[in-house]
Amino acid sequence: MPLAFVAKKVSGGGHKSVNHDIPLIPFIDFLLCIVLFLLASFSASGELPIDKSVRLPSADNVEDMTQAPMIAVAGQMILVDGIPAGTTRPVKEANRMQKLDELFNILKGRREVFKQINPGKDFHGIAVLQVDREVEAVVVKSVFQTAALAGYPNVSFMVKNRGGGKKRG
Amino acid sequence: MAGIDTGGGHGGKRSVNQEIPLIPFIDFLLCLVSFLLMTAVWTQMSRINADARVPGPPDPDKELEEQKKDLTLHVEMRGEEKFQLVWKEGNTVRDTIDVPRKQVRLNGDDFSYPDLSQKITEQWGTTGSHRADSDLKRDQAVLHTDNTTKFEDIIAVIDSIYAPQRLIKLGGAEETISAFNVTFAVD
Repeated sequence: MPLAFVAKKVSGGGHKSVNHDIPLIPFIDFLLCIVLFLLASFSASGELPIDKSVRLPSADNVEDMTQAPMIAVAGQMILVDGIPAGTTRPVKEANRMQKLDELFNILKGRREVFKQINPGKDFHGIAVLQVDREVEAVVVKSVFQTAALAGYPNVSFMVKNRGGGKKRG
Repeated sequence: MAGIDTGGGHGGKRSVNQEIPLIPFIDFLLCLVSFLLMTAVWTQMSRINADARVPGPPDPDKELEEQKKDLTLHVEMRGEEKFQLVWKEGNTVRDTIDVPRKQVRLNGDDFSYPDLSQKITEQWGTTGSHRADSDLKRDQAVLHTDNTTKFEDIIAVIDSIYAPQRLIKLGGAEETISAFNVTFAVD
């Protein structure tokens, strides 16, 4: 049934028409901009894969994150970019600082691969440690020492930025 | 609604005007925006640096007197009541300062040692070896911990060591860097 009264009302019915065009084109442009921005910052694998069980400490005087191998200490597991690289059990049992052989071999292998792929290019030896706030110093120092021995002397600890201090580039 | 109007369709020919279905397109875009917003990683992660590259032993080919040794700040955090700041030149202790171990709780589980930050900043201002803005080297700090110290405690102390900052001039540009470079003691 044709709604004559609606048609009459909408077309004005002797008054000014109340028809309005919704400006869809600027709206679509806006949506496209958002989509492009989000797609550009999207990472299918997750930009910083942080294990749910790892509770990071926070700090004020921090630096920006950098692209480097990520050594995570989650529970007793040690992971390099998500790949298992041994456990912390021998260090805890001995309660003294020691080299972690599996971690050492993986890091050394990565360093050699970098040198083969990028001949003549400087190797900066940066590694980022992602360690739970409750982990004991003996484990942290063992991982630190192992990384240094494997050719990664420039070790950084991943922290949450409290934002109080000046962030250094 | 958007459409393509070619003005054709005259002379008995079929009109080539087309309506573009914008509503499904907008629905699709909104779904895409929602998905991307939900899966976006909104983290504010940073790093705090430590360096295993420490100055090596003296050069045996040169006289020891010729080789000026830098002062090194040793931060002893094994005491339960206090921190100890020890300025050493080689193995010679030049100065020892005690700092009360006063932990200040921040949000949640976070904490800091503002007294330690302040004392280290003061000490570097008077005793630090590399303070000139043309000097690209940093002073060395060595952190002494026991095996059972929690990582959060280590980070709080390293954060305090990085509190003193200075300007350096690189060509025409100025940059703020930390006054210290931190490493761990092996003892």
